[in-house]
Amino acid sequence: MDALADTVRRLSASSRRTYQNPYEAIVWPDELAHDQWFTSPELVSLYGTPWWDELDEPAQKTLSFWEAVNFYSLNIHGERFLMEGLAHRLYQPGMEEVAEYLHHFLDEENKHSVWFGTFCTRYAGKIYPDRKVAFPREYAEGEEDLLFFAKVSIFEEIVDRYNVTMGRDERLVPVARQINANHHAEETRHLVFGRRIVDELWRRWADRWPQEVVDGIRAHLDGYVSATWREYYNPDVYRDAGFADPWAVARGAWDHSAAVGHRDEITRFCLRPLLAAGVLPS
Amino acid sequence: MTATDARDALRTWIRERNPDVPPGEPADGTRIIERRYLTSLQVADLLLYIEELRQAPVDPHRLKPGVFASIDSIHAAFFE
Repeated sequence: MDALADTVRRLSASSRRTYQNPYEAIVWPDELAHDQWFTSPELVSLYGTPWWDELDEPAQKTLSFWEAVNFYSLNIHGERFLMEGLAHRLYQPGMEEVAEYLHHFLDEENKHSVWFGTFCTRYAGKIYPDRKVAFPREYAEGEEDLLFFAKVSIFEEIVDRYNVTMGRDERLVPVARQINANHHAEETRHLVFGRRIVDELWRRWADRWPQEVVDGIRAHLDGYVSATWREYYNPDVYRDAGFADPWAVARGAWDHSAAVGHRDEITRFCLRPLLAAGVLPS
Repeated sequence: MTATDARDALRTWIRERNPDVPPGEPADGTRIIERRYLTSLQVADLLLYIEELRQAPVDPHRLKPGVFASIDSIHAAFFE
């Protein structure tokens, strides 16, 4: 645990040094016209598909607004899952050494949800609902912790690819750029912690688990990658953007080669930590 | 969409994701979660499919426990 303890000390010091008031970090305009870019066009879920090409630029910008509301909504739901899991693990057996950083992790995730929630409620008047459902199940010893942190890693690595691009994109309206840039700045620490603790938990438990548990973990994470991406193709977005059959658009966009290529490229990058740790087979 | 059409569509959706299910399965009353024909990670995708079949959104906040237990319970919750 020495490497993990060192990471906890280093990241905790960084969190204290860069501590920020979430209510001052973002400049919130009173109103926002929708005919501006809120999501980088290349990251809009329909980009490269016929549904994108059929829109004129004002309609593409309006779609980019609803895509931003979806991106922030799925972050709110993902961070709620994350905060519940982090709070559940505070000072639990096996987690004593990381408790110091879990406090910062929780604090920063809560701040991020403030930003995402403020944007959605102020400018869209809503947060898109979460369609995920968890069925109760049994776990082998250590399996639930490994799955929790591995899923957090996948979710945050994908989100961070979007944050990195949009935090630098000068085409975006400033508030969208600020949210993405600020989120990336703090997520960088969370990604480091996630990689380290997944690596530690895997080394601690993998040899003790029978092969069917290892196979089950890998199958579950494979399904989680797909389920995570599915949320980026939300028919609620397409309905708000004016499409007559939003479910057909969602299904068609999901299957389109441009979207498949986009997901594959980002997924390959985001799974590298789990591949390096041995959680996923190379 | 008739009740039979909806049930058959749901059965096809499940069979596509479980190519090894025996012929005739899942029946309308088969416990699809207990048989692991449906996992929690597939529910969001199934909800989208249900919405498309109904051509109407589902409010996830109103989902009740047991709604995904079988094709019968899914049909009762979303198509009646």
